[in-house]
Amino acid sequence: MTGNDEYDVYILAVIALLTLCSVVTRAGYFLFGDHLPLTESVRRALRYAPTAALIGIVVPELLPWRAEGGVVLDARVLAALVAIFLFWRTRSTLLVIVGGMAALWILKAASAMVPW
Amino acid sequence: MAPRYRTPSWWPDGRQRQSVRAGFLDALSTLVATSTWGFVTGIALVKSGLTESMAALMTLTVYAGSAQLTSLPLIESSAPLWLIFAAGTVVNIRFIIFGAALQPYFRHMSWPKRLGLGYLSTDMAFVLFMARYGESRDRGTPDQFWYFMGIIIPCWVSWNGFSLMGIYLGSFVPASWSLDFAAILALMAIIIPLVKTRPMVMCLLVAGVTAWVCQPLPLRLGLAAAVVGGVVAGVLTETLQHRNHRNRT
Repeated sequence: MTGNDEYDVYILAVIALLTLCSVVTRAGYFLFGDHLPLTESVRRALRYAPTAALIGIVVPELLPWRAEGGVVLDARVLAALVAIFLFWRTRSTLLVIVGGMAALWILKAASAMVPW
Repeated sequence: MAPRYRTPSWWPDGRQRQSVRAGFLDALSTLVATSTWGFVTGIALVKSGLTESMAALMTLTVYAGSAQLTSLPLIESSAPLWLIFAAGTVVNIRFIIFGAALQPYFRHMSWPKRLGLGYLSTDMAFVLFMARYGESRDRGTPDQFWYFMGIIIPCWVSWNGFSLMGIYLGSFVPASWSLDFAAILALMAIIIPLVKTRPMVMCLLVAGVTAWVCQPLPLRLGLAAAVVGGVVAGVLTETLQHRNHRNRT
């Protein structure tokens, strides 16, 4: 609570609407699925949705559009490539996170020392 | 002989407890991702100007990181409520898709149970559950229900626990640690092992390129476009593979 009633009501309304949003999108099919049938081929297609959604979140975070255009290979992208390489060699998902973070810290420290 | 206690009838029996354990073990590696995301989301909520109590209420009720993070810039610019609701729904479209795929396994249950299971379902619960039972002919078995519970309950606890930690401790973590990047790595740790077949590779490539090209679209519609593009690419590749296979034999 901020003491500003109008702002508090606005935030509470946002929270209520987003909760409704969660309930409708997540539980909608669980509740009314029998009345909204989906064919087997559609279900099959839906198997690709999670990979696509996850990559859709990651790509804009890693490679955001820049004013000057083009893709910039910054420390985050290089660290992500190191993480992929580590998984390819070790099959460990934990190393993706730990190794990727370590790579980012090392790359940042190195770029701070070397004036490009 | 040890005294026997009466267990309530809904309590899982030995075989069902094994399903709970299997779900928990499968969810374990993804809990790192869930926890990191929760922590980072908690930090982001308070850094965007929400009070700690509002941020805590939001995390406990909305329980959807990407929708919460999407709403923050909109809240900061005092966007109209309908726009925030629309943006949250678009970001959550994937849950409709997941729910449609999961529903046949739980359709026999009472509506309050279905409401609860649906509300608590997560991306990871969908991915892991379909990997294990996607091809199963038997749908609606107790094992499936308890396996699902074994995933969604630890998910709920770790998400909310780490979100609250992020909300109340976040201000002590220096920005130079770049903890937001750990969330990205955690998501990558989920994606990479999924990409094993050629249709999945095509899905990943098309979704990735679409997501990159569609970045200027408002309301994270680029995310929805990436989902559509990735699914179409995956299905087309799968169909072509089947056709080639049939032609050869």
